[in-house]
Amino acid sequence: MVIDPITLEVLSQALISTVREMRATVCRTASSVAIYDAKDFSCGLFAPDSQVVAQSEDIGSHVVPLPWSVRSAMEKLGSGLAPGDVILVNDPYSGGTHLNDVTVIYPIFKDGKLIFFPAVRAHWADVGGMVPGSMSGKATDIYQEGIRIPPIKIIEGGKTNEAALELMMSNMRVPEERLGDLNASFASCRVAEKRILEICDRYGIDQLMEAVRLDMDRAEARMRASIDRLPNGTYYYEDYLETFMGGKFEPLLLPLALTIRDDRMIADFTGASTQVPFPVNSTAAVSAASVFIAVKSVFDPAAPLNQGSFRPIEVITPPGTIVNVQRPAPAGSHGEIRKRVIATMIGALSQVAPSQVAGDLCRTSFHNLLGGFDTRAKREWVHYEWSAGGNGAFAEDDGPSVMAPIDWGDLVTVQSTEVMELRMPLLVESSRLAIDSGGAGRTRGGLAMQRGLRVLAPEARYSLLADGAVVPAFGVLGGMSGFPVGAWIDRDGEIEDFDSPGKISGHHVEERAMVMIRSAGGGGYGDPLERDPERVAADVEEGYVSEQAARQLYGVVLRPDGSADAAASDRARQRLRGLRFHIATVAAADSFEAGAVSRRRVIRLNPRDAAAIGVIEDELIEMDAGVAASLRGWVRIDSNVPKGCLPIDERACAIMKIKVGDKVELRRILSSVRPRVLFADAAE
Amino acid sequence: MSWLGVDVGGTFTDLVLFDRVSGSLRILKTPSTPRNQSDGILTGMGLLGIDMSGLERFVHGTTVATNTALERDGASLAVLTTTGHKDVLIVGRGNRMAMYNIKAPPIRPLLPRSRCFEIDERIMADGTVLRPLDEAQVERVADDLIKAGVEAVAICFLHAYANPDHERRCAAIIARRMPNAVVTTSAEVLSEYREYERFSTTALNAYVAPRMKKYIGDLRTRLLQAGSLAPLSIMTSNGGALPAPLVEALPVLSMLSGPAAGVIAAGHIGAMARYPDLITCDMGGTSTDVCLVRGGEYGMTTEGRVGAFPIKIRQIDINTIGVGGGSIASRSSGGFLTVGPRSAGAFPGPASFGRGGTEPTLSDANVVLGRLRLDRPLGGEIRLDKQAALKSIGELAEAIGITTIEMAEGILRIAAVSLAGAIKEVSVMRGIDPRDFALLPFGGAGSLHAAEVADELGMRTVVVPPLPGNFSALGLLLADSRRDFVKTHLSRTSETGVQDVRQRFKELISAGEKELSEGSAGSQGRQYLASLDMRYSGQSFELSVSCPLDVADMETIEKKFGEVYAARYGATTKAPIEIVSYRIAIWQISEKPVLSPPESSGRSIETAITGQAAVIFGGISHDVPIYQRELLPPATRFPGPALVEEDGSSTVVPPGWDAMLDHVGCLVLNRA
Repeated sequence: MVIDPITLEVLSQALISTVREMRATVCRTASSVAIYDAKDFSCGLFAPDSQVVAQSEDIGSHVVPLPWSVRSAMEKLGSGLAPGDVILVNDPYSGGTHLNDVTVIYPIFKDGKLIFFPAVRAHWADVGGMVPGSMSGKATDIYQEGIRIPPIKIIEGGKTNEAALELMMSNMRVPEERLGDLNASFASCRVAEKRILEICDRYGIDQLMEAVRLDMDRAEARMRASIDRLPNGTYYYEDYLETFMGGKFEPLLLPLALTIRDDRMIADFTGASTQVPFPVNSTAAVSAASVFIAVKSVFDPAAPLNQGSFRPIEVITPPGTIVNVQRPAPAGSHGEIRKRVIATMIGALSQVAPSQVAGDLCRTSFHNLLGGFDTRAKREWVHYEWSAGGNGAFAEDDGPSVMAPIDWGDLVTVQSTEVMELRMPLLVESSRLAIDSGGAGRTRGGLAMQRGLRVLAPEARYSLLADGAVVPAFGVLGGMSGFPVGAWIDRDGEIEDFDSPGKISGHHVEERAMVMIRSAGGGGYGDPLERDPERVAADVEEGYVSEQAARQLYGVVLRPDGSADAAASDRARQRLRGLRFHIATVAAADSFEAGAVSRRRVIRLNPRDAAAIGVIEDELIEMDAGVAASLRGWVRIDSNVPKGCLPIDERACAIMKIKVGDKVELRRILSSVRPRVLFADAAE
Repeated sequence: MSWLGVDVGGTFTDLVLFDRVSGSLRILKTPSTPRNQSDGILTGMGLLGIDMSGLERFVHGTTVATNTALERDGASLAVLTTTGHKDVLIVGRGNRMAMYNIKAPPIRPLLPRSRCFEIDERIMADGTVLRPLDEAQVERVADDLIKAGVEAVAICFLHAYANPDHERRCAAIIARRMPNAVVTTSAEVLSEYREYERFSTTALNAYVAPRMKKYIGDLRTRLLQAGSLAPLSIMTSNGGALPAPLVEALPVLSMLSGPAAGVIAAGHIGAMARYPDLITCDMGGTSTDVCLVRGGEYGMTTEGRVGAFPIKIRQIDINTIGVGGGSIASRSSGGFLTVGPRSAGAFPGPASFGRGGTEPTLSDANVVLGRLRLDRPLGGEIRLDKQAALKSIGELAEAIGITTIEMAEGILRIAAVSLAGAIKEVSVMRGIDPRDFALLPFGGAGSLHAAEVADELGMRTVVVPPLPGNFSALGLLLADSRRDFVKTHLSRTSETGVQDVRQRFKELISAGEKELSEGSAGSQGRQYLASLDMRYSGQSFELSVSCPLDVADMETIEKKFGEVYAARYGATTKAPIEIVSYRIAIWQISEKPVLSPPESSGRSIETAITGQAAVIFGGISHDVPIYQRELLPPATRFPGPALVEEDGSSTVVPPGWDAMLDHVGCLVLNRA
C-alpha cells in the first residue's frame, strides 16, 4: 500500500479531528462538574494492537497514561471481542491511575474485522470509598478509595450487563450522575465510530491503516532524532517524597538512572522506596507517562502524541514501590509521584543537556482544603485550592511565576477572590507573589503565590496534602533552590506553625484567624552572581527580589535611586565568591542511611566544617559543582570525618559531574523549614 | 446624500460608499497607513471623490485599539487596587499558555508590577463596606502617579460590581489631580464578578484609551477640515456601531471592530438571499475568522482575548485560525507537513509578491495552479511573479519527493482541512451539523478556497456575497447600534422574587440609557433584549438564558434554563439553580442601504466570459473560462471548472460544482 504524503497529512488530521470531536462530545454531555468544567478527562484512538494512534492534547497528566489502561484491558479481553462489546475498567493495578478515573474502551469493527478502539477516561466525582469524592488523604489501602473495576465487558453483543452496572452504581454516591458520565463516554465513542467509518468509506481501510502506521513511524523517528542528539551514557538523579510517620519525618527516596543509548532512552527507578500505606504511591502507568511528559517538554513540545513517540523510551519501575504500586496499597493521589518523576528527569537531563533544561518547577499539586459547617448560614462549605508555584528558570529567561506546571495543561490554578467570597465564609485578605521565593540564579526561578484566607464562619478545619514543604525545588547549573511550600495560621500577627509541614489533616481554625498558604518557588538557573545587575535592580524595583536578597544572593548593591552600582556590585560579588564554602570530596562506599521504610542521602561533615557553614545535625543542605542540578542530603555531624573532607559515593559524583577529589560547594538551603522536622527512626 | 463605511485592516483600507439618491454602491481598496490610519482614509475618500457636504453617516471599523494592545504601544498605565491584591493582573489565573514546554516564557504583564498600587479599602461580596476608602492615601498615590508621568489610570477594586462607591470616589480624586489622564473604573467597564477578567478588561481599556482618543480626535478634525459634518460611529465587537465619543471612553468595546462588521454583513445578505443558516469564512493574509449564523442570529461570547489578556466584553463569537493567503508551508522533523500559523505577512509576503519572500505560501500555491492570475494586480498594486512561486513550491516538493503541482495542490488541501477544522469547532464540536448550513466566504482569499472547504465538510452550498473583498466595510453600513450592559448579583432562583428580576433589568436599562445619552446617541426606536447568566449551584460556568423584560414568574425562567442546559449538556440535574448576572442589550435599529438587484438586460453568460486560463484540478490542467462577475446575468447557471473574477477577489468553481448569480447579487455555488 502506497500513500502520498498529502493524503497522509489529511488522514492524520482527520484522526486528530475525530479525537477532538470525542472530547467535545464528553464536554457537552457529561454530568460531573469535574469533567465538563475542569476537563478532567481524556480521549484517545487506538489501533487493534493497542497502540495509541491519536490523543487529545490538553492535560498531560490525564492524557498521557491512557494507553496503559487500554493495553492491559486488551491483554485480558482482546482475543474474545465481538461487534457490540464495550469494555469498562478503572483498576489502577491494571494500567490505571486512580479509581476515580474510569475508562471506556469501545471496539470498532469494519466488515467483521476489528480496526480501532476509541477510549475515554474520565474522572468520576465519586466511585465509593471512605469519603465523598473517594480520594482521601487518610486512606491506608485501596479498598478505602472506592470500587475497583477490573477490565469487564459492560456491554456484550449490544446488551448491557445490567447486573454489573447495578453492582457498581450501588457502591457509588449520586449514582444517577455517574450514569450520566458513563453515557457521555459511550456517546463520545459512538461519535468516533461514525467518523472512522466515514473516513474508511472515503479513503479506504487500507489507506487509513497505512496512514496510521506511517504516522506512528514518523513520530517515532522524530523522537529518536531528539534522543540521538544526546551523548550516550547513564545519568543519575535522586529526589524525595515527603511523609510523616507517627509525627516524624520520613523522606521516601526516588532515584533515577537515565540511560541514553543512541536513539533510545531507558529511565530506571530501581531503588525507589517501597510502597507505603498512604496515598503517595502511584502506578507504573503514571510513572511512565511522567517520564514521557518530561522528555516531550524538554525536547519537543510540539511532537505528536502517539505510540510512535513513546517507543524509544523504556521505563523500569520495580513492582511494590512508590512508582509501581501493588495491591492493596492506596493509589488515590498521583500528582506528587508525577512531579517527582519529572524532577528526577530534569535533574538527570541537566547533566547531558544543560542548555535545554530548567530549574525544578512547582514541586507539588498543593491540595488545600478549608471548610466546615457554617452554623450561621446552616450549611456545609468546602474551599478547595491548588495555586500553582513558580516554574524553573532556563537559559533564556526567568521562570514564570505561579503558572501551571507542565503536567497540568492549561488548568486554571488561581481562584477568583470574588467567586470565593460570594460562596464561602472566607475573606481573602491577600493574594500576592511571595517575594524572594523564586530560586536565585543567572536567570531567576518563578515566584510562589502567597494567600491569606480569613475564616468568617464560627469555625473551620484546614487540611493540606503537599510535597515540597521540606525539600524545595532545586536549581541547576549553580542556580539556587526556590522556597518550599508553606502553611501557617496568623492570629493578628501571632504565628502558629505546623509540625508536619505539607501534611495537615483537619486542623481546627477559629473565626477571624487567617490561614496563610504559600505554594513552592521555582529553581534558579546558573550562578546568581552572574545575573545582569540591572535585571536584579529591576527585580527589586518590581518587588520580586528584596534589597537584602539582591545584596546577599546576587551581590548587587543598589544606589539610592534604585539603579545598580556596578563597581560596588563587582566588589560585593568578589567578596561573596570568596565566602562560598568549597570542600574537597573523598570517596565513600555508601552515602545513604536507612529510615523507617526508605533510605536517604546523608552528608557527613566534620564538626568544624559544619560550624563554618552554620549547619546543624539533620539539616537539609545541598552540594553543587555548578554544572548540573544541585544534590541534597541531610547533615550528619561526624568527628570521624577529617576536616575539609566530604565523603561522597560514586553516584553523587556522577550527579554533580565531578571526579573524586574535586571540590564542591556546600550550601545551606536558605529557605529552610520552620519548625525543624525530626526524622522517623530506622526500622529495626 | 451618502453614507460611508471604512474598514481599516492590516494591509488594506476598504471603503464602501452608498449613494442614497441613486442607490449605488462604490468601493475602493487602498493601502493602509499604520502610522496614522486616518491618512489612508483621507486618501481613499479623495480617490472616491466624495462630496463631503453630502456625507450623512461615517461608520468606521478600526484596529487602533487592538493593535495598540497587541503591539504594547499603549499609554503609561497605573492600576489602583484593593490592599492585598496588587498581583491580580500580574499573576492572572495561573494557567499555562504553552503546553508541555519547560521553557514557556513568562507572560509579560500589561504594566509593570511597580505600577500596581494598593489602596486601603474593602468592600464585601454583598456590597457592604468592611474598610472605608482611605482618601488621603489616594491623594498620596496621585502624587506618585504625577511624578511618574502616568497617562492612564485603571481603578480596580474588589466587589466593585456590587458597590461602585469606592471606585467612583477614588476616580474623582484622581481625575481632579490628573485632569489630562484617562481614568477608568472597573464597574463602569464591566459590572460583573471575577476580578481578573474584569480588571484585565478595565486595564486594557485604560491602556488603549489615550491612543484611541487621539486617533478619533485627529480623524474628526481632518474630516471637519475636509468639509464633512457627518457623525462618526465606530463599530464595536458586539456587532453594533456606537457614536465615537462613547467608544473614545470605552475603546475596549472595539477590539473586534472589523471582524464583527463582516458577520453583520453576512447575516444581512444571508437573510436577503434566503440563507438564514450560514457559516462565515473571512480569509485574509495571515488568519481566517469563522462564525456560525443560525436563523439569522450569530452567537455571542464573553470569552474574548487580546493576546494573553481576557476581555469579558460581550462580543460576537468568532473563531480565528492562523491560516491565510500568506501562510507558509513547511516540513518539520519526522516529515510532518504544515500550512501556517507562520505567515509571510504583508512583508516580505508570499514569494510571488516579489517583495523578498522566498518561503512557499498558500498564495504561491494558488499562483502555481493558475487560480490566482497574473494580469489582475492585487489591491491595485501587487503584480504576481509566477517564477518565484514555482521556485518556492518546487523546493519544498523536491524535499518531500513529489512534483511541484502535487505540492501546490497538497498545500491547498492541507489548508482546506485546517479551515474545515476551524469550522468544525463552531459547528460539529457543538453538536451542529455544518451540512445544514451554507458557507459564506469573503475577505481577499475566502472565495478561492470556499468550495474545497465545503467539500471537506460535506457542505453543498457556497454563497459568495457581493463585494467580498470589501465585505466588512459594507457591514459597517448595515450595522445597528447596540450596547450591552451587565450586572452580577448572585442568588438562587428559589430565594429570588420575579419582581426583583424585573427591577434589576429596569435599573440596568436606566443606567444604560444614561450612558448612551451622555455619549450623544439618539434615543429613537430603542429595543431591549434581556438575558440571565445562570447555572446549577456548584458549577463555575454560566449559560446565557434569554428572558422577557416582563417575565411573569420564576418557573418560566427555571424552565427556560433547563431547556438551554439540556440542549448544551444533554440532561438536567436536580441541583438548585442560581442566577449569577443580569444582562441587557440596548438596540437601536438604523436605516440600511438597499442593495440593488443585479442588472439582467443585455447580459449573457457568453459575454461575461473575458478569457480562458489553464487551471489545475486534481493534477490535470483544464482550460477554464474566466467570468467577470459584474457582467454575469442573474439566474443563469454555469458549470465548473471556472474562475469568476471581480475587484478585490476571485472565486474558484471547481469541477463538480456549478455557479449562478442569484436575485440579490450573491454568487451561489452548488455541488452538482
